[in-house]
Amino acid sequence: MDGIHDLGGKEGFGAVERELDEPVFHARWEARVFGLNLTGAGGAGRNADHFRHAIERIEPAAYLTHGYYGRWLGGLEIRIVEAGVLDTASITRRALELGASPNDLIAARPSAHPDRIDYRPAEDGHRRGVRREARFVAGARVRTRAHGVPGHTRLPAYARGRVGIVTARHGGWVYPDSNAHGHGEDPQHLYTVAFDGHELWGDRAERNVVVHLDLFEPYLESLDG
Amino acid sequence: MDDHSAPAIRAEAIESLLIEKGLISAADIDEVVERYNDRIGPLNGARVVARAWRDPTFKRALLADGTAAIAEFAFEGAQTEKLVVVENTDRVHNVVVCTLCSCYPWAMLGLPPRWYKDPAYRSRIVREPRRVLREFGVDLADDVEIRVWDSSAEVRYMVLPQQPANAARESEAELTARVTRDSMIGVEVLR
Amino acid sequence: MTAEFSLDGAAAPPMQNGELVFDAPWQGRAFGMARGMAERGIYAWDDFRDRLIAEIGAFDRDAEAIVRRGGAAPEFRYYEHFLRALETLLVERAILVRGELGARVHAFEERPHGHDHAHAHDHDY
Repeated sequence: MDGIHDLGGKEGFGAVERELDEPVFHARWEARVFGLNLTGAGGAGRNADHFRHAIERIEPAAYLTHGYYGRWLGGLEIRIVEAGVLDTASITRRALELGASPNDLIAARPSAHPDRIDYRPAEDGHRRGVRREARFVAGARVRTRAHGVPGHTRLPAYARGRVGIVTARHGGWVYPDSNAHGHGEDPQHLYTVAFDGHELWGDRAERNVVVHLDLFEPYLESLDG
Repeated sequence: MDDHSAPAIRAEAIESLLIEKGLISAADIDEVVERYNDRIGPLNGARVVARAWRDPTFKRALLADGTAAIAEFAFEGAQTEKLVVVENTDRVHNVVVCTLCSCYPWAMLGLPPRWYKDPAYRSRIVREPRRVLREFGVDLADDVEIRVWDSSAEVRYMVLPQQPANAARESEAELTARVTRDSMIGVEVLR
Repeated sequence: MTAEFSLDGAAAPPMQNGELVFDAPWQGRAFGMARGMAERGIYAWDDFRDRLIAEIGAFDRDAEAIVRRGGAAPEFRYYEHFLRALETLLVERAILVRGELGARVHAFEERPHGHDHAHAHDHDY
């Protein structure tokens, strides 16, 4: 998804503020979270990929301004509503009763056609065996997928269609692009790929910068023939 | 004692009222806890760094397989599934980010700083790390290679900072106290 | 000016390897509230500390009496005393009213089990 969450390389954000105050929304969102309940949400509570994707789908202005916990809560509300545990109207009514303002920006944007999540992790953690051999060896030159996908992925937009070198292999892991949508764990081989700064950012890139990303095999194609 | 116990509910009730009355914010409370844990005690990561500075064999093992090397510390709580430790040298400076969300080696470093999770850092560190690091007070010569590690999967990264020059004869405990969270993210150089 | 932090002797919080120990997140919240409010000048840190010492002192006396009568010593739970001291101070200063606190506690007790609260370890999203 080409969402607001995919922030790598975006410009205009200014200096990193190190003494940042969280926005004063706590009273409002504390109110919204009142009564939210994750149990019975079809096991979605155990699916970190699904949760990440829910956060990616919150209202973009909320994503940029509500802070870490505001994003977290927006994602939580999306999952609860999509799982049919509560509906938006009830949550909003309750929040207003508890003192929320009707003008507050609501982060959650539950889908009218949500994925059905019924997830029981196959094992603890995220590592999995993969029957296929890893396609790439350390040192291999690879190019990343050129385009975005409509759903969840862990290939950032800034690294699409770029050439890099595999520097490490990490074996098999749960594949987020599949797992986030309830399509199964579909484990894939994971690699660290190094990209020269100029490859990512062109002539204006800072000197002597290498960006490393951890990328799943389906994101990569071989350039070595 | 879990978070549904009577004291837990009472603490939360008090907190929610104090917040509503504008006397304190949840972030203020977080910050106090962070500050006292940072100031009073070492981070797990700091202990690992101090050991690596003192013990070259351990350091080699740590850089080869971080997950296996830290097992001997028997840290309490949930453990990082795969930890990769990257070493800062005179020629290479490492820095960690999660551009897509807020992934962080919390099992080693505790709570991440708020700026780590926010758009300015996440957007800029992969594109202009030299400039961002300068804003953090880290001035690197052009011939130092900057490696930015974008934590886009479940592997977690931690920086092994360079040992400060004047710390050669300190004990492991003294060294541990010198290691900061920011130096293990890669936005600080220890002097 | 930030009040100097000191809690020693009977009032000292549990520590391990030089770190504060919280058995549960609410204890960290209680600590953060008590200290944070003092730093914001809402009360003097010493005022909180005095209440904590009084609270622990009362517990010790009661415990002693129970043991003298042949009963088992009650378990000492530091942060429960900490929280009670905070509550006492807040009510004394009319920052909180017992009625509203009781109502809020009751409302929170009514919440369904498993409701979530964002803290410490939820940082991989």
